[in-house]
Amino acid sequence: MKILIIEDDAATAAYVANGLKQVGHRVDHAPDVRDGLVLAVGQTYDVMIVDRMLAGLDGLGIVKTIRSTGVKTPVLFLTALGGIEERVAGLEAGGDDYLVKPFAFSELLARIDALARRPPMATVETVLRVADLQMDVVKRTVTRAGRRIELQPREFRLLEYLMRNAGRVVTRTMLLENVWEFHFDPKTNIVETHISRLRAKVDRGQGAELIQTVRGSGYMLRAPA
Amino acid sequence: MHLPRVLRTASFRLAATYTCLFAGSVAVLGAFVLWTTRSALEQQMTSRIEAEAALLEAEFRSGGVDRLVAAVHERSRGAHALDYRVQDLGGRQVAGDLPAAETGWSEVSTTGRSPGETDDSERVRVLARRLPDGTLLAVGEDTGRIEEATEAIFFALWWALGLTLALGIAGGLVLSSGFLRRVDGIARTAEAIVDGDFEKRIPERGTQDDLDRLARTLNRMLDRIGELMIGMRQVSNAAAHELRTPLARLRQQLETALAESQPASGVESALQRAIAETDGILDTFTALLRIAQIEAGTRRAGFRLIDLGNVADAIIEAFAAPVEDQGKTLVGSIAAGARIRGDRDLLTQLLANLVENASRHTPPGTHIEVGLIATPTGASLWVADDGPGVPAEEHERIFDRFHRLDRAREGVGLGLSLVKAIADLHGAQLRVEDNRPGLRVCVEFGGAHS
Repeated sequence: MKILIIEDDAATAAYVANGLKQVGHRVDHAPDVRDGLVLAVGQTYDVMIVDRMLAGLDGLGIVKTIRSTGVKTPVLFLTALGGIEERVAGLEAGGDDYLVKPFAFSELLARIDALARRPPMATVETVLRVADLQMDVVKRTVTRAGRRIELQPREFRLLEYLMRNAGRVVTRTMLLENVWEFHFDPKTNIVETHISRLRAKVDRGQGAELIQTVRGSGYMLRAPA
Repeated sequence: MHLPRVLRTASFRLAATYTCLFAGSVAVLGAFVLWTTRSALEQQMTSRIEAEAALLEAEFRSGGVDRLVAAVHERSRGAHALDYRVQDLGGRQVAGDLPAAETGWSEVSTTGRSPGETDDSERVRVLARRLPDGTLLAVGEDTGRIEEATEAIFFALWWALGLTLALGIAGGLVLSSGFLRRVDGIARTAEAIVDGDFEKRIPERGTQDDLDRLARTLNRMLDRIGELMIGMRQVSNAAAHELRTPLARLRQQLETALAESQPASGVESALQRAIAETDGILDTFTALLRIAQIEAGTRRAGFRLIDLGNVADAIIEAFAAPVEDQGKTLVGSIAAGARIRGDRDLLTQLLANLVENASRHTPPGTHIEVGLIATPTGASLWVADDGPGVPAEEHERIFDRFHRLDRAREGVGLGLSLVKAIADLHGAQLRVEDNRPGLRVCVEFGGAHS
C-alpha cells in the first residue's frame, strides 16, 4: 500500500513510517502543511495519516482542503488530544477514522488495513462467507457447515464485523467502537468475554477454528490455510 | 401572597414609594392652597361687609332713618346685594330680611330668602352696629359662596390626588416592566453562560444609565473570565500535549525495543511491563483531561433527546457476560419511556463506570441491578449491589478524585469522579445510599431543573 503521513513530530513520524515500511508499505512523509497538501493532491495514496495538531494549520483544515479537491483517499487522524469532541469534529471534517496518541502500532496497522480495504458503500454484501461459515445479513441467519447457529443480536453484530473484515486484524478498540459503539475504554473484559462466547458457538466441535487471537493485537477471522 | 413579578421589582417599589411621597406633597400643598384661598375669601367678605355698613352709616348721617331705610331698599334690589336689617329701638324690624343679631360680628342662620332656593338654611356672617339714635343696622353676607369655592377646590384636589396616584402607579409599571426586561436580559445571559455558552454577553443599549453601566461592567468581567478560562484551557491542553507527547514517544520507543528484542531474553517481559505502566500513566492523564473537558460544559451544546432505556439495555447486554464470568449476576429493571436530553456517549460511560465500580468492589456471588424509572421531571437511574457496601461517612467522598476506600486495590480512583462530572453536566443529582446490604448509587435526572 502507498501511505502518506502528514505529521510534524519527527519522532512519531519516524516510528509510524518505519513500522509501516517493515510490514511492506510504501510511505511518504510530509513534515508540514504545505508539503502535505502538495503530496496529497498531487499523488495517489491508499491511505493518509494526518496529525490533528499541526503547526500552522489545523489538521482538520488540511483534510477539508484535500477533500474539496475531490480526493477521496481514506484519512486516519492522529491526535494527542484525548478530547471527546475531537472524534466527532474529525469525522465531520472528512476523516474516516480517528486514533488517539499514543497508540500501539498494531492498532494503527489494523485501522489502516480496515480503511484501505473498506468496500464502497454501494457494494455492501448481504451474504458473507468465510470457509464453511455463512451469514445472511438480511435474514439474520448464521450457519456453519450447513448447521444453524443461534446468536444473540450483539453476537451477530460482532460476527458480522469480523466477517466483513475477514483476513484482517481487528483490535479490541475497533470492536468496542463498531460493535458496541463504546467510545471509551472500559476496564472490563467485554470484548474478550463476548469473543469467547462467540467462539463457543461458532468454533466448538468444528475441525478448524475460524476466530483467531492475534497476540498483542486483537482478533482475526479467517479460513484455515 | 404571590404578587405578579412586575409589582415585586425594585423599580416598582421605588416608583410606588415616590408616588406615595408625591401624593403626600400634593395633599399638603392642597391643604395650604385651601387654607389661603379660604382666608382670602373671608378677608374679602369682611371688607365688603364693612364697606357696605360704612356706606349705609353715611346715608343715615346725611338723612336719618328714612334715608337709611330707602338706601337699604334700593341696595337690596341691586346686583351685588348683601343681606340687611334695620331695627328700631323697640327691636322692630324696619327694613331688610336678616334675622336679629347682636352688635359686632356674628354668624346667624337664615331660612331661604327667595323661593326656589333649595338650601333652606344658610350661614350668614353679620356685622351689626348701633347707630347714634339707637337704631340697629346689620349687614351680612351669605358664606355659601366661600363654602362653594372651598368645595370646588376640595373636589379639584381629590381629583389631582387620584390622578397623581394613578399616573404614578402606571408610570411605575411602565418603568419597572422596562427595568424587568433588562434584568431578564441579564438573567437570561447569565443562564446561557451557566449552560456553557461562554460567548454570550449582556445586551448594551448605548445609553449611559446605571443599568447600562452595570451591563458593561459585567460584560468586561465576563470577557476577563473568558480570557482566563481560555488561558487555563490552553495551559491544560498544552500540558496535555507537552506531557502526552513525550509519554507517547516513550511508549513508541518501548514498543520498538520490544519488537527488536531477542525472544526469551528476559528483556521482553520487562518491556511489556514498562509499556503497561506507561499505559497506566497515560490512562490517568486521559481520564483527568476528560473530566476537565466535561466540566467545561461545552458538550451541552450537543445534547439530544435520548432514551435512557436503550443506554441501560446496551450496558447490561455488554456487561452481563463478563460480570457473570466473575461469578456475579447483572440484571436490569428498566422501565420504558425514560427520555432525557443528554449526551449518549457520556451517559453510556456514566453507567458503564457505575457498573464497573459495583463489579470491581464486590465478592463473587454478588447481585448487581441496574434500574431505571421515568419520573415526572425526568428519570431516575440507579446501580445497586448487595456486596459489602460503603460506610456512610464515605458516601460523600467516593466521587472525589483519586479517592479509594482500599488503597491496596488497583485502579486510579477516577471512574466515579467522571460519573460525577457527567451527572453535573446533565444537571443530575447523585445520591449514594445504603442498599441494606450493599451500595446503591442513584442518578436523578431533571430533579434540579424542575
